Order: sequence, then C-alpha cells, then structure tokens
Amino acid sequence: MAVSIRFEHVTKCFGDNRVVDDIDLTIEPGELFFLLGPSGCGKTTLLRCIAGFYIPESGKIFIGNKDVTQLAPEDRDTGMVFQSYALWPHMTVKENVAFGLELRKVPKAEMQQRVAEALAAVKMTDRADYKPNQLSGGQQQRVALARALVVRPKCLLLDEPLSNLDAKLRLEMRGEIRRICKQFSLTAVYVTHDQKEALSIADRIAVLDKGKIQQCGAPREVYKFPTSRFVAHFIGETNFVEGTVEKVSDREITVATPVGPIGSTVMSAHPPAVGQKVTLSIRPEVIHIGYEPPPDAGNVFDAAIHDTIYLGEMAQHEVNIITASSGHAGDLKLNVFDMNPKIVAIDNDIQMAKIWVRKNNVVVLRD
Amino acid sequence: MRTKVSWIIFVIVSLIFGFLFLAPLWMVIRGGFIVSGQFTLEYLFGVFKNPVYTEGLFNSLMLAVGTTSLVTLIAVPLAWLGNKYDFPGKKLVSGLILVPMILPPFVGAIGFQQILGFYGGLNLVLGIEPTDWLGSLQYWGVISLQSLALYPIMYLNVSAALANVDPAMEEAAANLGCRGVKKFFKITLPLIMPGLFAGGTIVFIWSFTELGTPLIMNFTKCASVQVFDALKEIGTNPFPYALVFVMLAMSVTIYLVGKFLLGGKAYAMQSKAATVAGTKNARGLKGLLVLLPFALVIFVALTPHLGVIATSFSVPGSWYQSILPLEFTTGNYVEALGHSMTVSSIRNSLFYSVLAVMFNAVIGIAIAYVVVRSDIPFRGALDSLAMLPLAVPGLVMAFGYLAISSHFSNLDWVKEQPFWQNLLDVRTNPTLFLVIAYAIRRLPYMVRSAVAGLQQTSVTLEEAAANLGANLWTTLRRITIPLIMANLIAGGLLAFSFSMLEVSDSLMLAQREDFYPITKTIYELFQLIGTGKYIASALGVWAMMFLTVTIIGSSLILGRKLGAIFRV
Repeated sequence: MAVSIRFEHVTKCFGDNRVVDDIDLTIEPGELFFLLGPSGCGKTTLLRCIAGFYIPESGKIFIGNKDVTQLAPEDRDTGMVFQSYALWPHMTVKENVAFGLELRKVPKAEMQQRVAEALAAVKMTDRADYKPNQLSGGQQQRVALARALVVRPKCLLLDEPLSNLDAKLRLEMRGEIRRICKQFSLTAVYVTHDQKEALSIADRIAVLDKGKIQQCGAPREVYKFPTSRFVAHFIGETNFVEGTVEKVSDREITVATPVGPIGSTVMSAHPPAVGQKVTLSIRPEVIHIGYEPPPDAGNVFDAAIHDTIYLGEMAQHEVNIITASSGHAGDLKLNVFDMNPKIVAIDNDIQMAKIWVRKNNVVVLRD
Repeated sequence: MRTKVSWIIFVIVSLIFGFLFLAPLWMVIRGGFIVSGQFTLEYLFGVFKNPVYTEGLFNSLMLAVGTTSLVTLIAVPLAWLGNKYDFPGKKLVSGLILVPMILPPFVGAIGFQQILGFYGGLNLVLGIEPTDWLGSLQYWGVISLQSLALYPIMYLNVSAALANVDPAMEEAAANLGCRGVKKFFKITLPLIMPGLFAGGTIVFIWSFTELGTPLIMNFTKCASVQVFDALKEIGTNPFPYALVFVMLAMSVTIYLVGKFLLGGKAYAMQSKAATVAGTKNARGLKGLLVLLPFALVIFVALTPHLGVIATSFSVPGSWYQSILPLEFTTGNYVEALGHSMTVSSIRNSLFYSVLAVMFNAVIGIAIAYVVVRSDIPFRGALDSLAMLPLAVPGLVMAFGYLAISSHFSNLDWVKEQPFWQNLLDVRTNPTLFLVIAYAIRRLPYMVRSAVAGLQQTSVTLEEAAANLGANLWTTLRRITIPLIMANLIAGGLLAFSFSMLEVSDSLMLAQREDFYPITKTIYELFQLIGTGKYIASALGVWAMMFLTVTIIGSSLILGRKLGAIFRV
C-alpha cells in the first residue's frame, strides 16, 4: 500500500536562483523521511514539487511507479499539512475534514464514518462542530492532520507542521505524528529546520543546503558521523580542529594539529591521504573533563578552564588546550559539556584540568 | 495548468473589456476626426474657435476646480479629526458622513431649489427681500451641491491614508519639538499626499463632467449640458464628437497627472504602526467640539435631501412663500407609485442594475484572480486597465455608446430584423447598452474589492483544496468565493447603488418612456408643470431610502477598507 517517492535530477529555479539543484533521492515506502536544513535551503520547495505546486525546470518525480512531474496538484493524491494549517475558516472542523471525501464522491454513510475515525485518530472528536478560529494552535494542527489523512493519500507531506506551536505542544505532537504515520504505514515527507524534531522521530534525514543534499541517513548516523563541516555544524554543536593527516592505517587516522596529534578510529570508505588538510569535528559532550583520565582514554590534553556556565544537569566549560610542545595555553579553544558536573569554576578562577576524547568520537572531515 | 488558465482568462477578459470600453471611446474619436472618410482637425479647432463651446469648457473647468477645492476644505479637516480623536458618537457620524455619496446631487438639486429659490425658505428665514440665490449664483449652487455629494470620496481616501501613517512618525516630530499646525504641514500632509491626490483626481473628473446637477440647476453654459443638448444631432454633426473628445482628453490628462506626477511617490511605511495609541480621547466639551464639524457637514450635506423629503410630503403648491410647506400629504407617494412612468422605471432600474452587477461579479473575479494569483507578465496592465473607467467620464462613455448604437441602427440588417433592432438600437430598446454602460463604469469597484479580498486570503487555503483533489473551478466555488464573499457583497452593493442612481448614461441612452430608469423618470417628471416636482421628489425619496440602507450595509461589512475602493 505504501509507495516510494523518487527524485531524478530534479532542479527548480526562481529566476537565476537554483533553489533545488539536481536532487537525486529515493524515499522508501512507509518511511518517515525528514528534509532538514536552514531557511532558504530548498527543503520546502522540494516538498512543494512533490505536491505539484511547483513544476521543476528539469528532472522527474515519481510517486510509486508513476511519473507525476507535470501532473496538477489535484491529481497527485498527496495529503499535505501546511505550516499555517490552511484550515478553511468558513467551514467547521467536520466540513474541513469531509471536503476531500466529498470530492472523491465517497457515499454519505462511509464519509461520516471515516470523518469520525479521522477525528478520533487525532483526538478531536468533541470539536467536530467548531470553526477553526475557535481552536487552539495544537488543535488546528491536529485537524489539518486529520484532513490530510482522511482521504488515505498515497503519501503525507508535512511542511514545518509544528513551527507555530509552543515548546511543550511541539514535544507532544511530534510523537503523535510518528505514531499516526506508523499506524497508517504512510510514506511521509516532513520538512523542518528543527534538528531535535528530525533526530527524535525520523527514520531517515536528508540535510539540505543551497539546494543540494549534503548528507542523507538515519538520525544517529547523521549526528554521529557527519560527512561535512556544514552537517556537523548544523546538527548539534561541535568543535572544529584544523590539522594535517600524519598517518593512515586500516583502523586509525592520526592528524597533526597545533596542540599535538589527535587519533580517530572513525573510518570512511575513502580515507584521506597523508599530508592532506582536514578538519576534525569533536562534539562537546564526547569530551571528558577531570583530573585522572582512564588508561584507554585515547586523546588526552592538559587544559585551562577559563569560563564555566552552570546549568544544573550539566556544566558548559570553555577550555584552552595547553600545547604539548610549549607548555603554554594556545589559541585552541574547545567547548566541553560535562554531564552531572563535578568541576565548577568559582569566580572565574582559572583552573587546570585534563580533558580526553576517545578515538571513536573524533570525526575526520575533508575540506 | 494554472498559468495556462490564467492566460485564457486574461485574453478573454481583455477582449471583452477592451471591446466594451475602448469601442465607445474610439467612436468618439472617430466621429470628431474622420468626417466623410477624411481625417480632419477642422472640428477640433472649431471647438476652440466657437465662443459658446470655449465658454462651456471654461465653466466646466471652473466647476471642477471649485468643487475639488471645496471638497478638500471639507474633507481633510474631518478626516484628520476622525483619525486623531475618539469622541462620543464617532461610530454614528463616521457612517452618516458617507451617506451623501450615494444621494445623487441631481436629486438634491430639487430640494435645494425649494430652499434657496426666489420664494424659498431661506429668504423667509433671513427675513430679507426675495433674492434668487440661484439665479445670480448658479455657479456656486452647482459647486456646493457637487461638493456636498462628493466630499465622502475624498474623506475616505484621506482617512485611509492617515490610518496608514505610523503614529511614530508624528511622535518623532513632536519629540524633536515640532508641534501643532507645523507638524501637520511638515510631516502628516506630505505623507498623505498620494491619498489626497487619488481622491482629488476622481472628484475633479467627476465634477468636470457632471451632467445631472447643472441640468436641474439650469446651468446650461457648461460643456456637459451642451453635449446633452446636441445629442439630437449625433448622426449628422461632428462638433459634439469633437467637444466630447476634448473633455475626454482633458480628463485623461488630469488622471495621468494625478497618478504619475503627483500621486506617484507613495512613501512606503518602513514598519507597520507599532504603537496603536494614535487616537486621543476627547470627552465632555472637547468631545462636543470635535463632533460639531461632523454634525455641521452632515446637516448641510443632507439639507438638499431634507428639502426633497419635505417637497415629497407637501401638497402641490403649498410650499410657496413659506419657510416650510404649509400642508402635508402622502398623496405624492401614492401618485408616484401609480404613475405610469414610475413603476416601470423602478422595475427597469432594478433589472439593469442587477444584470450589470452580475456581469461585474464575473468579470471582476476573473480579473482579480489573474492579477493576484497568477504570475503572467501583463497582469499589472490588466489591473490598471480595469481601473480606467474611473478616469473616463460617464458622459463620454454614454456618448460613445450612443454613437455605436446610432451607427448600428442605420445598417440594413439591423433595421430589417426586430431581434437586432431590439438589441442594438437604443431608440427601440436600450437594455443592452444601459447594462453595459452601468457595468463598465462600476467595474473598478468590483475589481478593487475582489483584489483586496484575494490579497487578504492566504493562497495556501486554495493549495490545501488542490492538494485534496479539488480542481480550479471547485476550489473557486467552494473555497475562494466563500472566503471573499464579504468583499464581493460590499463591492457589489456599491456597484449596484451607483447603477441605481446613475445619471449620464440613463439620461442619454434611455429614449423610450417604457425603458426609462429611475433617474431619467425623475428628470422627466421634474420637467412637468404642476405636480411633477412633487412626484419626482417622492420617487427620489424612495430611491434614497433604498440606497442609504445598502451603503450603510456595505460600510459595516468593509469598515475602513471602504476607502480602498475609491483608489485609482
């Protein structure tokens, strides 16, 4: 029942601006797929190409095995949830949800049953006769979802569906959306700029920038093993350390940096060559801070803590690495997140400590 | 596909509009310049050589200058007060202040004469020797009547412009030590200039070519009345054509000057007004002081119409050498409804106006859709084109339609077949031309309100429908039109009201008694010696009551946005 969605070299321009640039991508049947990126990256444009509101300049789009590239929006059978919800203010909740079924000439009895089911699925049964402007943001969002789902579309398209909700509702609704997608085993494409939404419920994520897919993979893969500076920087926080490849073996790469050699055991299919300039990405939370690193600590450095923000469950330290050769604090600053913090600097007294990073937490990025 | 549909609509609408709007103008131009197949400037120059015509043109121009000035003096202070202060009764007077707009000055003129005439009420109130205020001061009479009917257009434009001015602009000036009158002239006035000129242009063109008021006031030495008097010669004499062409050229020039030279540089507010506190509260004595000018203007503006009402209730002949009528009766109303002309004229006006509004609704929605929702290259041009009827005087259009009809009626195939004769010869049946004339002249109101409605309606609401499988037509019917219904009703009501009391087209195109619309009937009744004036007044009161209800209705629906409808 669920269908795949496939892009073949899709390019969409607005004037001279290539907003979607030669995208090749297959979204598997039943997958909850995220398009993630900063504003202007082309994610919404790509989604609107699936829905048919934009026709790409070149390339093809398939829903299932059908080429829909030139098809009018009304002939595509996609269910879309708009960022503004786009609930029709002159119709009640029930009429909004029933609209798609009316157009499909569903018999009256069946229509009523399906509307009731859809409203039940989003827990809005008791608001069926309200007008949209009598509902809260979260309720409107759920009606929009019901309206898209009730026609049993081939695929569900969600355009930043939670961006107008407050933080608490966002948390609640994102779980709800995943539950519903899986319940109806729908192929769903979800556009957002909120990485937490993407990481928490996606099956796979495509990170977009400047109209191109920078990286595509499961949430853990994209977070743990970014393949470019952009992805590492855009998703989560990270420290970048520049350096030159010193040694490459089957299981380990050693990179010479201003603070001494740093080893990484994160291997890619095409490891860099010795002498190549690279950037290391080290996330703040993988850096340990303390006084006695364990014997298998990996990369160990002396560090001066010169700023600390205490947040309760963790402390965010800004540390300066002591360069091994000179013994002085160099220019390299790292952010360190210490969960359940033990070390808290008092009155900005500079404290000395050791930091260490396991080699499987250091990612080598080629520039 | 959307773009393809937009193109189809664009082409069809442009053809219909172009033909119905440009053809009459072409007939006017052709009639004045091409005589017996030869191009000639003789008649154009002839207009300027003829002292009667030059005097008429000069007088019309002076009427327009006077009316526009007076309208500005009335409307700008009122709009400024209304924008600045909250005062007791503001809601009521802001509605009432608009009422004179739809009461045609042409009807008011009847009452005006009763009050200001030789044996009228004013002389008796003043207790002076009978003075014919109108005989010696016809010119001022026409200007006053026109101003009192046209100031709402200016008021709406200036109010809308003032509402757009970010209060922070004035606050910044005050903060730097600029206050009072100086602040108004240095800061506020320059910011509302585009609105002022937009309103001024319409008022100017309107009063320049107004036919009904000078006609009833018997001010015959102006161009519009001269054209009206020359209608009988439409088939033979090129001079009326040339005269109408001169009026057209002057109107278009004024429109272009107003639009591009003076009103062109609208200052975009950098921010939407951040502070709401633009209005001050005026209570007690101060509130009354602010209310007073409103009350005064409303009272003076409604006086001619009060005169009409009084006339309509007076026993024929009983309002003579007295301040008010001496004997009252409702007999005029009974007679008005019993008179052969009146009943059919009400029916005719309703019929023509309803048809015209229906035509406008279809064309207006189509134009607005292309202008707002498509991205085809010439949509801006279509938008401007649809506004043009505001710049072209009704008199010119009516003359053009008459010329077309006169051209057709001389063709053999029209003469021989009753069907074509009924359709195309206004002397047989003016329905087609009257409906077209009513519709084209009121199209701008419909287009403006539909455009405003579409602009306020998010396009995603339509996309959501398409996403669920609705095609263009279903989306329009189920989503778009219901959502902009308030705008369509308001625009339609305005178009309808103006059609019901349309003067120039009605006077010129309706030539057979059984096809007379209300206005022509009022004019004809007024000409009758004896009871005519009183029955005409009764009929006028019926029409005014009817229109007051519709205009108040539409202003309630549209609120402040009403001003946007009168923009060029």
